[in-house]
Amino acid sequence: MFAAFVNTICGSLLTVCITCLATFAVTLIFKTSTTTNFAQGSIAALGCYVTAELFGTFDLPVWIGVFPGIVVGILVGLFVDVVIFRNGKNVNALGKQIITMGLVSLIFGGIPLIFGNPEAIPFEPFYNTVKMGTTPNFLIPFLGGELVLSKHAVLCAAITAVILAGLFLLLKFSKWGLAVRATAANEFTAELMGINSYAITAASWAIAGALGVLAAVMYAGGGTRIGPSFMTTIQVNAFLAGILGGFSTFHGPIVGAVCIPVAANCVGFLANFPGLSGITRWNMVIVYALMLVVILIKPQGLLGKPVVKKV
Amino acid sequence: MQKRKSRIQAFLSHPLSQIILFVLILAVIQLLSAAGLISNSLVFAIGNTLIYAVIAIGFCLLLGYSGLASLGTAGFIGLGAYSAFYVMQEFGMPYIVALLATLVVSIVIGVVVGFISLRIEGIYLAILTLGLAEILRNLLMAMKSTVQIEIEKIRLFGLLMDTRGGYFLILVTFAVLFWLTANLIDSPTGRAMLAMKNSTSAAQAMGISLMKYRLLAFVISTVFAAVGGLLYMMYVRTMTTATSTLLTLTTSLNILGAVIIGGAKSLWGTTFGVFIIYGIQSMFLSRIPFFIENPAFMTMVTGVLIILVVMFFPGGFAQIAVQLRQRLKQIAAKKGKEGGSDGG
Repeated sequence: MFAAFVNTICGSLLTVCITCLATFAVTLIFKTSTTTNFAQGSIAALGCYVTAELFGTFDLPVWIGVFPGIVVGILVGLFVDVVIFRNGKNVNALGKQIITMGLVSLIFGGIPLIFGNPEAIPFEPFYNTVKMGTTPNFLIPFLGGELVLSKHAVLCAAITAVILAGLFLLLKFSKWGLAVRATAANEFTAELMGINSYAITAASWAIAGALGVLAAVMYAGGGTRIGPSFMTTIQVNAFLAGILGGFSTFHGPIVGAVCIPVAANCVGFLANFPGLSGITRWNMVIVYALMLVVILIKPQGLLGKPVVKKV
Repeated sequence: MQKRKSRIQAFLSHPLSQIILFVLILAVIQLLSAAGLISNSLVFAIGNTLIYAVIAIGFCLLLGYSGLASLGTAGFIGLGAYSAFYVMQEFGMPYIVALLATLVVSIVIGVVVGFISLRIEGIYLAILTLGLAEILRNLLMAMKSTVQIEIEKIRLFGLLMDTRGGYFLILVTFAVLFWLTANLIDSPTGRAMLAMKNSTSAAQAMGISLMKYRLLAFVISTVFAAVGGLLYMMYVRTMTTATSTLLTLTTSLNILGAVIIGGAKSLWGTTFGVFIIYGIQSMFLSRIPFFIENPAFMTMVTGVLIILVVMFFPGGFAQIAVQLRQRLKQIAAKKGKEGGSDGG
């Protein structure tokens, strides 16, 4: 039973990675541009389509094809910040949200125009292209049972860990990180201190776009069929993870991003017990409801600091 | 002549006569379609757009007048749609009972969200209500994935609400709710909400109870959204929750977008915003051969329109209308002056 439980938790590894990447992207934009980027998932889907197209039509391996996809994500991110936000007349936080929403419509319409029928594009997981053998899973003997770990998930976890560790180190120790933190704290004061906050927000949108596309390619490689809105659930979970962990820090949302998929799988595990087999249908309801309770008890998030409001 | 003109102006500027005129025009359109002059699908699209207008007006009160951002609209629509299904289809009750059930359910949920809004504010509240909408959507989907009402089951006072009857019912509902909201905005309650939006601290200092007005704002917008869901089930009669976008974030964002690009503090502006987001596609673009062949362009046109309006007119279409009117007045004044000097 315990081995089965550990397996259940391991089953959420891939979703944890994807949610972490998406959440970091959402948090970065939230902190530097004070808006929630509703187009996060759509930009990611667009980049993923590019990768899939390169893979399907030109037979490029996914691990090479992912780079042009990431470039597209970066370009779209930069376009939003540099072209749309900068040229608007005093666009406030709410206006920025609506603009990202308009962008969702634009990308939703654009994807079928550029790529045609989405279901026609096949996708292959990473492990196939980097020669890790033909079986999809690692089987590790564990406490008399067997631990099943998807190779794709392990590879994605390694990539995610390296990227996130790098980003957090940069945030903590580099000049760029200091500038991001200063812009996040107060954009106006940061500008007075000589920080080029334009460059910082633009870079944030570029990074967010790149991370989104990477997450989308990982998600598609895990067997999810791609479509214009296939990242929406991940995006919603990323927002909620941000609230759950608390947007006031960078690591808080990541903790939230780990909690949500793991909690979902744990609730799903309850279905193994007699009399609870119907619980899988109510999986997300239970997880979201739990989260709601946690946030109501601690409105600033699990790791957040209380916000001091001045009149 | 002058006197009659000013009397007509006074009549037209009264919200009640405006709304009656608007509804009468739309009713005539229905009659014209019965006579075969206008296609039925256009009339159906108008009815559908008006349903979203009902929802958006409730949201306008919440966002434009109370300053509370919510992304839970879709979930509340689902509440109304599912209570309509259960009451009318499963229990075979008339429309009035479904309406009552919708009101009860939505008031309860509205109060709950109102209490949540006392603890969490701003964008956090928006994301939290998004979570709530996801709970509702998953809950409803787990209850029944496809809801469908037979047309014989929809009866109001014994009358069958088919597509035509449903259209008039939507018109009446829209008119009543629009008028109530317009009155509420001009009442002490509306003023208190506006004060709360501009500064919670100052409002509290003036003796305005945050709890009372936040609960009220959320209850009203939830009721409007649920009534919208009820009207939708009455009019369209079927919904597949798993594949339909009606109960997803898209709808909540569309309603938010309609209110913003229409002008968050103008009811007519909001109605126009709904027309831009929902109406243009279904009423006009879907009739042009180019767009019929490339439906993706319709979505793109809407997206570009939203982006451009927010970029260049932060006050939405209401602001454009005000600016246009001022410009016209200036031109008229100039002309009047020139005319006067000519005469002298």
